[in-house]
Amino acid sequence: MCRWCTKHGAGKKWYMNSKNYHADQISTEDSMRSYLEEQFMNMENLFIRKIKGFSSVGLGYKMKMPIIGRILRKAAEGMIHSEKEHRNATRADGHFGQAIPLEDAQLIMSELAAEPIIENYCLCRFMQRGTKESCCINFGVLSEVIEKLPRYIPKDRVVRIDRETAMERLEEHNKKGYIASVWFQPIPYINAICSCESPECGGLRLRTSFDLHAFYKAEYIIQLSQDNCQGCKQCVSMCQFSALRYIPSQNRVIVDYDKCFGCGVCRHACKHDALKLIPREEFPGWDGTY
Amino acid sequence: MKKTKIRIDVTKCGDKGGIDPRECVKCLKVCDPCVFLMHAVIGAKEEDPYDPQVWRITAVWPSVCMRCMKCVEDCPEQAISVKW
Repeated sequence: MCRWCTKHGAGKKWYMNSKNYHADQISTEDSMRSYLEEQFMNMENLFIRKIKGFSSVGLGYKMKMPIIGRILRKAAEGMIHSEKEHRNATRADGHFGQAIPLEDAQLIMSELAAEPIIENYCLCRFMQRGTKESCCINFGVLSEVIEKLPRYIPKDRVVRIDRETAMERLEEHNKKGYIASVWFQPIPYINAICSCESPECGGLRLRTSFDLHAFYKAEYIIQLSQDNCQGCKQCVSMCQFSALRYIPSQNRVIVDYDKCFGCGVCRHACKHDALKLIPREEFPGWDGTY
Repeated sequence: MKKTKIRIDVTKCGDKGGIDPRECVKCLKVCDPCVFLMHAVIGAKEEDPYDPQVWRITAVWPSVCMRCMKCVEDCPEQAISVKW
């Protein structure tokens, strides 16, 4: 269990603690609503906003600068994980997520997520790809906030969905190869499960390109049965982290366990029952990092 | 290694007389590593702050640019310059 589980999980995984799904058990619905409204009204310009003279434009270069680079990295990690009283909504302080397998995502939708539940256009895909993809599931107070922003509301369908529909949609997205992810925004309030792509997802972009922890590996890791693997290679193209590779001389697929985020999306491609998720702690060589 | 410097001319694409990037988004689609981001212009005069109409595309992640130049070739307004 990661440090967020220890801090906000009350003995369980952080996203299995029902308290985190209720704004009024964390602070007040009104204060959460106004924080999220401020965050989402102009969230696309989050990366170009200047904070103390610095914006995220060219972040990769900026963080490589001697000394200043390290200070910037520390400042960015601080903002991403901020639990301070006066954190900044327009910077989306306190907003980060973790990969979850489909089963955990569906459990959250069936038992923990607070209504109303909506499905809307993914902000990250709009911002980074210019596409409108209706695959972001939001709930609790965030639903009412998103409904005020016309650019995220699909016009051809009902926006508010019930729990069963949400679970079905999550399965559709997962089978497409999208990584299910659960988000603090702001920590410890949980109000979104997205189905992500890398690098379209802002959190995945920050983690995979700059190693900023806006996105964490899942509490699970993949296990590939060498006996069952037939070398069909179907799983290889599913992995967004390049953790699976086909070895022609061995006619089987190997796993890069450092790269595996434990999202479990590869399992949908395997027709030979060779892929299973196990708890990350059970992997003998795991170094304890997420 | 020299830094990649990517500029989009806002008089060709954006709020200073250019086209509305939301109508085109070719560079966003063609760039494999997603160097570009589309965003509302900070400080622009908006009739409805919940539905911003003034947008721009900025090259936010030039460090991941692989210098394939597809964006420069595909931009219908020839608004993009990539230098190093």
